[in-house]
Amino acid sequence: MNQTKLSPANIVILAAGILMLIGSFLAFYEFSFALAGATHTESISTWSSGLFGIATTIVICGVIMGGQVALNAFGSNVSIPDKVLGFSWDQIHLALGFQAALMMIAFLVTSRAGLSLGVGFWLMLVAGIGLLVGAIMRVAGAKSNPFTAI
Amino acid sequence: MDGKTQPTTSELIIMIAGAVMLVASFLDFRFNASTWGSGNFPIATLLPLYGVIMAAQIALAKFANVSLPDQVAGFTWEQVHLALGLLAGLMAVGWLLTDVGDKQIGLWLEMLGGVALAVGAVMMQRERHTGAIR
Repeated sequence: MNQTKLSPANIVILAAGILMLIGSFLAFYEFSFALAGATHTESISTWSSGLFGIATTIVICGVIMGGQVALNAFGSNVSIPDKVLGFSWDQIHLALGFQAALMMIAFLVTSRAGLSLGVGFWLMLVAGIGLLVGAIMRVAGAKSNPFTAI
Repeated sequence: MDGKTQPTTSELIIMIAGAVMLVASFLDFRFNASTWGSGNFPIATLLPLYGVIMAAQIALAKFANVSLPDQVAGFTWEQVHLALGLLAGLMAVGWLLTDVGDKQIGLWLEMLGGVALAVGAVMMQRERHTGAIR
């Protein structure tokens, strides 16, 4: 393990990425219905029909960010290019973190009719904001110490 | 960006896609509601918003000679276009895969627009020789 590469910013991104992945399998939306005199509660995750696709793109953002940090820190003999499509990894983290946070906030304020927000949603919301915060911390850290940028 | 030259192919693609996406945002997207309607806003509105931002930046720089900062949050404008274009393309694929019941005309146009933004942004890298796409 190369601990010198696990800056506080990368720890935040890694933790948020893991949280995002875990949250994606938990209840994103919940809804209750009455059947035979009893109230039942069902839930759907980001991998369920109706959410799989658009909500899964948020998970992809988190997995890419967390995966890059994990590979860079723990992957032995793993070579990651310094730039992808002309973007530095700090820029990729910033763009993906922004996208994840923006989409989770958009889901938060979208009208949901009879659906309520489940624990998976809240975990993903925290994770999305965490990804953006971590990305900003990376950029700020890179500016103050260019030797820990990647 | 040189404001006196004609728009390039990539710039035209992005401007047309942005305009189409803006118009389509007012058409039925899903649940018989537009991207501005209840249940869709703002999650579905992000896609046309990205298109409008990209198209507006090009239009302002090309036709209005508006002086814009060289960089935004450390991104050059070419990088902003590539990032927004690829994220729009990702959302377009996301909506394509999402089971929304009846995919309506607005959703199809937004998906096409999202893919067009991604294509236009990639072409822009080649046209402006940014080195991002070899």
